[in-house]
Amino acid sequence: MLMPRKPPKGFRKPHHPDRSGASKGGNRVVFGEFGIQALEPAYVTNRQIESARIAMTRHIKRGGKVWISIFPDQALTKKPAETRMGSGKGSPEWWVANVKPGRILFEMSFPNETVAREAMRRAIHKLPMKCRIVTREVGES
Amino acid sequence: MSEVKISAEPRTEFGKGGARRTRRAGLVPAVLYGHGEKPQHIALPAREFAAAIRHGGINQIFTIDIAGNSGATLALPKAIQRDPIRDTFEHVDLLIVKRGEKIQVDIQVTLTGEAAKNTLIVHESNTVAVVAEALHLPSELEASIEGLEAGSHVTAGDVKLPKGVELAVDADTVLAVVNAAQSNEEAPAEGETPAEGESAE
Repeated sequence: MLMPRKPPKGFRKPHHPDRSGASKGGNRVVFGEFGIQALEPAYVTNRQIESARIAMTRHIKRGGKVWISIFPDQALTKKPAETRMGSGKGSPEWWVANVKPGRILFEMSFPNETVAREAMRRAIHKLPMKCRIVTREVGES
Repeated sequence: MSEVKISAEPRTEFGKGGARRTRRAGLVPAVLYGHGEKPQHIALPAREFAAAIRHGGINQIFTIDIAGNSGATLALPKAIQRDPIRDTFEHVDLLIVKRGEKIQVDIQVTLTGEAAKNTLIVHESNTVAVVAEALHLPSELEASIEGLEAGSHVTAGDVKLPKGVELAVDADTVLAVVNAAQSNEEAPAEGETPAEGESAE
């Protein structure tokens, strides 16, 4: 499961990351031939990323390559169940990637486009927001 | 590649507000420069421009007729900014070119044929920079990967160039690598971190 190797440099229990706006970078497929692009903002947990990766790689079996373009480096906290309000912030519960619309989440290289699209369709079902499959474009800045 | 005639109007308002108003009016803000001429801020019709790019590719030559100016100008898109979600054109940089002038452009390279079994092609770059006459730019170039074994490369030197087109990069520049396809391996156990750019299981 993806998570930061060292404890975060800033706050251990940060505020929720900003979900407004669109993705400023990582909007284009650069490594593979196909990619999964987010169409809505969402916090994607490391479990969802891993689940999507497994769905994709199990479908293509062999002969392909998958790149993960996001990293869950934001901690989200949760207060224990049946706890009264107050007494400080809850403990870190999830590691999430703060994904904004337009962001490429995964990239894939596979010889057969039909199989690659089916693999990515399966991966999209594991993700918490609307996504679409995009292909690599040529020579645009 | 044939030229596409497109009419443009000069832009008078600038900044994000002006640019947004231009886009709402069905136009694409653009700037036209090159050959030591003063940059001209213009607006192109979005539908016509999109259709030309869709059919002619990213290196489509335009004959731009600016309202109020005498004569048309030949131009080539140098940089195109697109909205990543809506896929609309946000801004275009157009470079003035002259007839017979040689220019450097990036042309798409298509790999043809099939590599040996149990191999995976990893694209390092899907374009190659070439020098060619502005009005005779190839729409795409081809390189063969027929029968290539794992460990071999496709370089810029392997690309078949039409007459009058020269490479602008080193012939050793790698365009694609032929890797051995990974065997079916187990998913990493919980707590393990899979490496970025991981191969299929």
